[in-house]
Amino acid sequence: MKPSILTGGKQLYFATKPVLKIVFLFFILTGFLVFGGQLASGPALAAESTVNCDAHKGVCSQSSGDLTVSLEITPQPVKTMQDLVFKVSIEGASPAKHPHIDLGMPAMKMGPNQVSLKPTGPGTYEGTGVIVRCPSGKKTWFANVIVPGSGEVKFIFNVIY
Amino acid sequence: MSFIDPLYPVFLATGFAVGFGHCIGMCGPIVVSLSLNLKDKNLLIPHLLYNSGRVVTYGVLGGVMGATGSFTLVAAHIAEIQKGAMIFAGVLIIIMGLAMSGWISFGQVFGNSYNPGGFISKGFRRLSQIKSPAVYFPIGLLLGLLPCGPVYTALLAAAGAGMEAAGTLDGIIKGMGVMICFGLGTVPALFFVAKLADMGWLKKREIIYRIGAVLMMAVGIYFIIKGIRY
Repeated sequence: MKPSILTGGKQLYFATKPVLKIVFLFFILTGFLVFGGQLASGPALAAESTVNCDAHKGVCSQSSGDLTVSLEITPQPVKTMQDLVFKVSIEGASPAKHPHIDLGMPAMKMGPNQVSLKPTGPGTYEGTGVIVRCPSGKKTWFANVIVPGSGEVKFIFNVIY
Repeated sequence: MSFIDPLYPVFLATGFAVGFGHCIGMCGPIVVSLSLNLKDKNLLIPHLLYNSGRVVTYGVLGGVMGATGSFTLVAAHIAEIQKGAMIFAGVLIIIMGLAMSGWISFGQVFGNSYNPGGFISKGFRRLSQIKSPAVYFPIGLLLGLLPCGPVYTALLAAAGAGMEAAGTLDGIIKGMGVMICFGLGTVPALFFVAKLADMGWLKKREIIYRIGAVLMMAVGIYFIIKGIRY
């Protein structure tokens, strides 16, 4: 017997309210935008996710004002779901506190993933962390090096699954 | 203690935030499938059970992470299970879509005269026959294993909490705490999606079901492909 989908449904009081219909349509549109954003990156998203570091080959350097930060991630090539060592060297600033790295994806929120850095020498720091795998298949990540009192520098790079 | 305590509210808030962003995209199709499949039944208990199952799985994974203190070690061991969970979710969504569309009923897929021989066929036949909302709890338990970036991030924090813990038991408790808080944080978003899919004016429109069924099948295929390639 063909299942009935149109009978017996209880009517919700608020279901007939036009405002909720609008909210629902807004939600659907938002959903399409979010889903669409996952399928194809828009221009704004693309600008924020422009790769500025080849993390698989040696050290990357970026500057912001007087601050110059170098980042090396090992082992290379940089793969997800494995323990990684993040080596940071800082020039042009004396951090008030130890710097740290915020890891994330430009394309979507992944939750707080912070790498604590410990000093290994004058202006050099090191810490361990993991870049997790995103089932969406996206491979672009960022490592935002936060230097307390001096600013931050963002490295955008691709990872390997 | 001072290190771990802030993690609970942080990951409760993280769960809430990614719930409305990330989880709606990932788990939304599953939740909509469950809601529409309930038809005119009350959705509160089934969705409560589904979310409870999900949070229990998160809690167990968090406990394991906290006990070992190693994210990569545990993640490597559960990767294949997660792959299976993703494929299962895809198949489940397709079957619910087929049943909801009315084009093919469960009876036609696994007809009364059909004698299922395989484990999967038997499983789905039993699933289709279960009327109790209790079935949503094991579905939640299993789908809590779905691979997901924010879940991995929370598990990473759970492992970190375990590493900082005074002992194994302390690590288990802290790891579980982080993951349970994260899981609870994601519940409002998924309930919101479930409630929207349950709106009476929507349920009156057959076209919504037809479109929804096609979308569900497309999403199911997407999940299976992602699961195979994962």
